[in-house]
Amino acid sequence: MTPKAKINLISISISLIITVALTSILIIVIGKSPVEVFGKLFLESFSSGYGIGQVLFKATPLIITACGLAFCFHASIFNIGAEGQINAGSFVMALVAIKLAFLPVFLSLPLSILAGFLTGGIVGYIPAIIKIKKGVSEVITTIMLNFIIMALVNYFLLNFMAVKSTMRTEKISDDMMFLKFANWFEFFHGSSLNIVFVFALIIAALSYFIIYKTKFGYDIRAVGFNKVASEYIGLEPSNLIIKVFFLGAGIAALAGMNFIFGYKGYYEYNFTNNLGFTAIAVTLLAKNNPVGIVFSAILFGVLDYGGLAINELIPKEIMFVVQGLVILSILSVNSIVERKLKGRFGS
Amino acid sequence: MNLVNTLISAAFLVSVLRGITPYFLGASAANFSERGGVINIAIEGFMTLAAFTFAVTMSFTGNAALSIFTALFINVAFSLLYSVFTVKLKIDQIVTGVGFNLFIEGITKFLLMYFFHSSSNTERIEDIPLIPGLKSIPLFGEFFGDSIILFAYLLMPLSFFILNRTRFGLRLRSAGENPKAGESLGIKIRSYRVYGIMISGLLSALAGIWLAGEQNSYSDFMIAGRGYIAIAAMIIGKWKPVNIFIACLMFAFFEALQIAIQTSGTGFPTQFIQMLPYLITVLVLIGFIGKTKPPAADGVPY
Repeated sequence: MTPKAKINLISISISLIITVALTSILIIVIGKSPVEVFGKLFLESFSSGYGIGQVLFKATPLIITACGLAFCFHASIFNIGAEGQINAGSFVMALVAIKLAFLPVFLSLPLSILAGFLTGGIVGYIPAIIKIKKGVSEVITTIMLNFIIMALVNYFLLNFMAVKSTMRTEKISDDMMFLKFANWFEFFHGSSLNIVFVFALIIAALSYFIIYKTKFGYDIRAVGFNKVASEYIGLEPSNLIIKVFFLGAGIAALAGMNFIFGYKGYYEYNFTNNLGFTAIAVTLLAKNNPVGIVFSAILFGVLDYGGLAINELIPKEIMFVVQGLVILSILSVNSIVERKLKGRFGS
Repeated sequence: MNLVNTLISAAFLVSVLRGITPYFLGASAANFSERGGVINIAIEGFMTLAAFTFAVTMSFTGNAALSIFTALFINVAFSLLYSVFTVKLKIDQIVTGVGFNLFIEGITKFLLMYFFHSSSNTERIEDIPLIPGLKSIPLFGEFFGDSIILFAYLLMPLSFFILNRTRFGLRLRSAGENPKAGESLGIKIRSYRVYGIMISGLLSALAGIWLAGEQNSYSDFMIAGRGYIAIAAMIIGKWKPVNIFIACLMFAFFEALQIAIQTSGTGFPTQFIQMLPYLITVLVLIGFIGKTKPPAADGVPY
């Protein structure tokens, strides 16, 4: 194990412990037992095939979006607009799937996925251009775009496509729907886990390969590590930032597949429910490593699914607290651990 | 026609002049931190936190002064925590800022549910009392009688004076422009950066308190990006108090326009009206001339 990986593992473990400790204190303060809460959380998640299936189902879109963010974060692009990128991309994805229903599935399906990817990418392209041309931080523009896109999607959905008195599109044709795991394995009976989970794992593997094993990935990390120095080795940071923003936002948008093709069969307004922000915590906890992302997404899948079960004990909004705590503790712990251990491991 | 009548009314003017308050307080908050060299993306979170603390304390005690004090106190505590992250541990300021925003969003969502069993808002709270003599001025009573609005207006010349004419302001700026040179003159750079962040926490608290007071409650997501728009106003105003004020005037105008269109019932799609402030922000950021030029050491840990 490389020194860097060792440092990362140590800081991830410590920050998880801190997060659990602080969350426990909060639970005690409001007069509940942390043992009972965490016990119920894990029992509910892992005591049945259904629970495990649901956890992995919840983790699926997180893995995909977080991988998209990992590309951005490696290039020091702090994309916090995934929420808008996913909604725009998924809306178009469902739309194309509905409009192309006359084509055979092997054509209409890839085309609608591609349309979703491109839409997400274009939404990522706008803040990239503003960042390059005007030097305005992508944090501000991506947040503004989240509001703008949600309003636009709302407008087009309600005025042209929505099923009467709902906030969703009509259903895509049944033969475009992905198979559920429960169709093959009785173990997952009743859970919504579907093929998109496998797709998410493939995306994670590919992202890992691209980021760590190809020249493009090396360039991304070089630009992210030191923009000025990367120019001296012949890279064009501006160009690369635009590409990465497009790619990252496009991948993030693919998360909609899980909901559309794997679960409901339609786009529903704001189905993401904070997915784009939870994915930030997932990515940071994994130190931007796509393999780590799979595990941290599953952890958040437990919180998401188990949160419903503990709602009778404490408000399920505790999940948002944990999310924030994870980010703050990984940031601080990593900074401290790196300083303390750098000499020891000789990196 | 209805809309035109609204736009030329005194009430519209008052709503623009009042509406500057949270933007200018938020933008000044961001500015004091950045002139000291620390980017504070957490303005949105700080505003949210103060609005929440104020409304909760207010609904339990009904005491406006106590509630304002509590909100300021909590924000100072969070500013100190923010300083530990950015100044002491030298963690990436943008990531820290977003982390704070998400944490504050989470804890307020959770506590809102815990205290009020509602995912949307607190109970109705009383108005912040107006200043006795000034509130009876005709038409503008709600303007001059409001102590936070008055403070925001005084802040424009005050922050200009502090940043350009006082020892404190010049030292703060040296922390943001050239910390090495400042330190060689004996200035404690890190302390000044912390002061900048503390001022930032206090000013954004006032912005949040004012907004909660205006709508007589705290509701989830009520700041709705105003903290980020305030940062945009600071950028457009090129980190100068007077220019920032003008930028905020523009955002306040569009916010008032948004409300005017909404209430006049022009038949314009509501979604487009709602996205107006955000669209304007992006368009202005795209359109305004030249690349932005923040303080030289802005965002660079020291």
